[in-house]
Amino acid sequence: MLPSSSIWSVTSSSNHSVEEGSQVHAPVITGHYSWPASAGQVAVSWNYGANNGPLENATSSSSGDHYDPLRDSTGSEGAHFPTNSVSQTSASSNLSATNGNPAYAGYAQYPNSTYSYGYGNMQYQSNYYSPQQANYPSYQQAGASQNSGASYQPHSSFQNTGSYATPTSYSGTYFASDHQTAAGCPTSGYVNQTNYWNDGSGGGYPLQYANFPSLDTNSAPSTSNTTNNSYSYQPECNQWPINYGTSVSNVNCTPGPGSMVSSTVPTATYPTQSANGSYLYASSQPPPPGTTSWRGDLGLPNLPSSQAQNAVACYPISSWEEKAPTVQNYNLNQIPSDLQKPLDLKLPLFENHDANGKTTCSYDPTSSLQVFPSGQVSQIPQQPLQAISAMDASRVSKMQIPTNPRISSSLAVGVPKLDKEGSTTNIVAKPAYLSVQVPKLNNQLSSSDDTDAVVKQGAFPPSLRSYAERCFSRCKDDAERDANKIILSEIIAKAKDDSSLWTKNWDMEPLFPLPNSNSNAADRNILRSTVLSTPKFPGRRTKSRWEPVAEERMDIKVALVNPDSTKNVSWAERLAGGRIHENEWNSMKLPLSQPPPLNKTPQRPLKKSRFSDISNITENGNSSSESDKEQELTKHYSSAIALENSPEEKKRREHRSKRFENGQERRTDGKQFKPRAAGVENILRKASAMLLAKSYDDQCSGAVEDINWNALTVKGTSQEVEKRYLRLTSAPDPATVRPEEILEKALYMVQTSQKNYLYKCDQLKSIRQDLTVQRIQNELTVKVYETHGRLALEAGDLPEFNQCQSQLKRLYAEGIKGCQMEFSAYSLLCVILHSNNKRDLLSSINSLSNAAKQDEAVKHALAVHSAVSAGNYVLFFRLYKAAPSLITCLMDLHVEKMRFEAIKCMSKSYRPTISVSYIAHVLGFSTSAQTGFDGENGANGHEDCEEWLRAHGAVLIVENNAELQLDAKASSTTLYMPEPEDAVAHGDSNLAVDDFFTRAS
Amino acid sequence: MSFTSMSEAHRRIADFLNHFSEAVSSQDGASLKSLLSVSSNSSLLLSLADDLNLYQDWSRLVKQAERNSHTLGEILVPHLRCVQSYRSGRFVEAYAAFEKSANAFLQEFRNWETAWAVEAMHVVAHEIRILAELADKELASLGKNPEKLQGAGSFLMKVFGSLAGKGPKRVGALYVTCQLFKAYFKLGTVHLCRSVIRSIETAKFFDFEEFPSSDKVTYMYYTGRLEVYNENFVAAAQKLTYALMHCNSRHEANLRMILKYLIPVKLSIGILPKMSLLDKFHLTEYTDIVKALKQGDLRLLRRALQEHEDQFLRTGVYLVLEKLELQVYQRLVKKIYIFQKQKDPSKAHQIKLDVIVKALKWLEIDMDVDEVECMMAILIYKNLMKGYFAHKSKVVVLSKQEPFPKLNGKPVSS
Repeated sequence: MLPSSSIWSVTSSSNHSVEEGSQVHAPVITGHYSWPASAGQVAVSWNYGANNGPLENATSSSSGDHYDPLRDSTGSEGAHFPTNSVSQTSASSNLSATNGNPAYAGYAQYPNSTYSYGYGNMQYQSNYYSPQQANYPSYQQAGASQNSGASYQPHSSFQNTGSYATPTSYSGTYFASDHQTAAGCPTSGYVNQTNYWNDGSGGGYPLQYANFPSLDTNSAPSTSNTTNNSYSYQPECNQWPINYGTSVSNVNCTPGPGSMVSSTVPTATYPTQSANGSYLYASSQPPPPGTTSWRGDLGLPNLPSSQAQNAVACYPISSWEEKAPTVQNYNLNQIPSDLQKPLDLKLPLFENHDANGKTTCSYDPTSSLQVFPSGQVSQIPQQPLQAISAMDASRVSKMQIPTNPRISSSLAVGVPKLDKEGSTTNIVAKPAYLSVQVPKLNNQLSSSDDTDAVVKQGAFPPSLRSYAERCFSRCKDDAERDANKIILSEIIAKAKDDSSLWTKNWDMEPLFPLPNSNSNAADRNILRSTVLSTPKFPGRRTKSRWEPVAEERMDIKVALVNPDSTKNVSWAERLAGGRIHENEWNSMKLPLSQPPPLNKTPQRPLKKSRFSDISNITENGNSSSESDKEQELTKHYSSAIALENSPEEKKRREHRSKRFENGQERRTDGKQFKPRAAGVENILRKASAMLLAKSYDDQCSGAVEDINWNALTVKGTSQEVEKRYLRLTSAPDPATVRPEEILEKALYMVQTSQKNYLYKCDQLKSIRQDLTVQRIQNELTVKVYETHGRLALEAGDLPEFNQCQSQLKRLYAEGIKGCQMEFSAYSLLCVILHSNNKRDLLSSINSLSNAAKQDEAVKHALAVHSAVSAGNYVLFFRLYKAAPSLITCLMDLHVEKMRFEAIKCMSKSYRPTISVSYIAHVLGFSTSAQTGFDGENGANGHEDCEEWLRAHGAVLIVENNAELQLDAKASSTTLYMPEPEDAVAHGDSNLAVDDFFTRAS
Repeated sequence: MSFTSMSEAHRRIADFLNHFSEAVSSQDGASLKSLLSVSSNSSLLLSLADDLNLYQDWSRLVKQAERNSHTLGEILVPHLRCVQSYRSGRFVEAYAAFEKSANAFLQEFRNWETAWAVEAMHVVAHEIRILAELADKELASLGKNPEKLQGAGSFLMKVFGSLAGKGPKRVGALYVTCQLFKAYFKLGTVHLCRSVIRSIETAKFFDFEEFPSSDKVTYMYYTGRLEVYNENFVAAAQKLTYALMHCNSRHEANLRMILKYLIPVKLSIGILPKMSLLDKFHLTEYTDIVKALKQGDLRLLRRALQEHEDQFLRTGVYLVLEKLELQVYQRLVKKIYIFQKQKDPSKAHQIKLDVIVKALKWLEIDMDVDEVECMMAILIYKNLMKGYFAHKSKVVVLSKQEPFPKLNGKPVSS
């Protein structure tokens, strides 16, 4: 029952994603692609597993294809992914053994379609709860994210809620989703669209998470694998791992509370919420409780223990950041309100999230990674990446925890059990937030002090204070703290100077990169510069960035933006007391680290996914209106929080931390795998940073149209010279796109290839596609089109030739040099011979420059025109013989018509007979191009001609001199045009089945 | 700016607004016309533009005048802005404003049940096309994409839709059709004319002859040109002849435009104009062609074609004239036939190929025997010559009766 319901929810979510798809998917798709490397692959594996959400599967599968290439390109990453998926599945199986097989299966599948759903249904309650409550929280978040997705897209959100409800267990999934969302966040940073995806696929993440949790309990290795995978995806994985670890710890902490809550209160609250239910708020309310529970977790020693170990020890800040991204996502998504409520509750995490959200765009990737940090999370992230959109959604769901209630409510209607689970999961999700707080505690002390040093209370906006705290909270040591202080002072001074100190939304202000972070200093600098440049309208920025992704989203965002800002403020105020982090820089890095996306934009899946994430985030933020309801929910949850510290929770946390360790190891492995990508990645990072900065600028200007598409153009990384053409159905994957130098090799390969035209055509089309996708328009482009045009002519493939011709016309018009005369002659001949449109002919003759008219080829073409126009077959076939080979090919297509017209003319005007040898001579049958009339070469031509004449119904007689003659009078009534022998029913012989076979060989 | 000139400006603007609303309320189409014709450079509108520049706050006046009728403001504000922009030569702005105003006017126009404002609508249709052309010129000079005429075309289609139905306004539909033709011909998107033509020619409830004759002439001129493109010479000749016959004989420029197409079309169906006609309308580019046709001078024809190639290509008659070659061949052979007949009537109907080749050599046309043979075959095939070609003896054997049939208004068979 539960599974089925979960499936339903999955499908529904998938539906959402599909519905939004145009928005999310399409735009996101690119994002996904970029993700694909990480998430995409995962998604693929997941997809296979996932039977549930056909829609999602379809989308994911498509993306999956892309991803595959990406993986290949990324190499190590790709490999990891598959392995990850495998490991995950195995892990899931293990989990199932312990917890529940069905659930695991569901998980595996979920990633593909709707992760959270599947997971939620099956295992969340059992697995998640027991193993890792933290996971649950994340799942809840995921659910929330979905919900947020719903808020973005009302339909989807509603459905999501419904699905969530069924999956009460989902909360577990949600937690997972949280992780995922974290993962998604990075992506979102890159691409808002990914967020969308996340929304849709949020469920998927949860599923993955679920697996992870189960893995944690059952098989830590598997989870570690996943984490590794995630690492591999992100170049900075090593650093990340740490972050992850911390974040994981956070997650664990939160889960613990969440589980506690879920086990006790959640069900009750959720049902009630569901009762309220229908209200989004009701759903939102649950999260507040969760938040409260989180707080409790923070307060609770247990959480600290696990979290402290991981997060505190490693990078509390980073973990926070990671969480923060997710949180931000949540906020951005519908969660915002929830988050705000949590913030109200004084959950620093939320603030962080907000801050993260600001940075989120960049962070998203990292955030997703961060999510992973909790060992499970790391695993999940990869999956999330695949599922990314879902992951994002899941994040949103966290934010939207309220939505979970909704879901639960809806579930209550359809699936009571699920509702219960969902409620528990929701609770868990809340704990996740709490866990976030835990890191805060670690950081808080120092960070708050530092903050005080920089930001005097009272003299600055509370949001600024919280911002400062966030900045400090990520500092690992004094050195960093000092550097942080300096930078922060600069920022504040700058803000003072342009009097934006009080107007700036500090909650949304991205954190500047940590000065001494593990990552490359250069990257940080870039990040910092981007952060600093990003300034003012975080929410809007994200929107503007993502606008290209989905207009609808944009609208939604716009609507939501205001609420966000207000919420942010409130958060900031609440947070002011707290601490925080700078997931931002981590997130920033992550996006950067994702190589393919970085290269170039929309076309790349990764980028798109990032964008989508961002957009989700923004959406979440927008959904702040739900915060009130969430607050109410938090009250409910607060009672449940007490449960967080239960021994079970501790166990789970331990499991998680173990996983995390494994994950770290694997991650490092992943790095090793990434080797070749390393250099590229750096470039990519820079590019992504530039991109981010750009997007920020765009946001500031507030105009979507200002987006510099050049900056978003995909840059290929594939080194394969040979590539089959596949018409893109989604954003291109940079990993499968070849850079210019490789394309040059590919062109040479085609030119020198001995294979048949279909092969060459296929190759050239893929080269053209790569050129187009990368917006390369130079002499290479011209060369490619010219080569293809010539080959097409040679093969008589006029449609393909016309495509090349029209592109060449445009390229020539832009002043790119090539064989312009040659091709204008071709085009002239095309119009003359193959078009009946006199206006076209006139205009193409008229458009010839005087210089062109002096060109031999053009002159030849014009002569052909006059021959055709007058019906002068003698001249035509003379020109035919004298033509350069390719023009001969072009004229070939007209020869039959011309011959038949000529023979009709002859049979009418000649009496009594004409010798066949003369006809052969005049109608160009003599194969050797020599003008030899005199029959030197006549033999061959004669036979051909005779055959041709007979085929056309001519009456041939042999006269006394033994020469074959055409009886003109008799023939004049018997001539006919035979059906072409090679005719194909559908009219295009190129599509003949045989050709497909030859092509395949 | 002196106070008096300000108040003067104020007064004149108010006057204009009053005129406008009065013309509308009294349904005075004629006076409304003059207020709308931006590009007419009428002193009224020119001075109004100056006044508007002087009195910056004129939109307030419009608002005041608008109290009675809200919609008039939507017409007038952009209209006045257009007048202003037009005066200062900012045609892109002028077009944008006028389009707004025109749309508002069209909205109103649809609500007026009688046809009193049809002429005013015509002015709007004309103005928007003119302004669009000016705006496109400006855009092109700025290196931008000239797209305004296209926009004007779609507006004109809307206007056509508001007129073309049954009802008293139908009579104004042909004018708009002609404006559309002008826009489409300029844009080179003549295929778009088809739907409008169908709507005009298939309407059973409105006889074509009921349209104003000036519109009919314009319509026939453009549809005739379309037939030229389609190489449908008989129909083209018919339509263009209609246009020529109904065109006001004082409008020589219009007559000349019609003749530019009618002459080649008539030539292609074997009807030659008098030289005096060519002289009268300064259509000298056709003089040599007509001469070549008369004399069978292939060289002259080719020269004339080459000389005026650009012009013929531009007007689109090049392909028509190019096909006259066959008639020139026919004339040449006929000439030879006549010579032979004078020499020896009994053998006149047998023309040796060598003779024709020699004749072409004299014309400095370099064609070998095969090619000439081919041309002879084509002449026979296309029924420009009766007879047959004996391949073995290389002789054209002409029919004894009417060896060179005249086209007499029939096109050369293909």
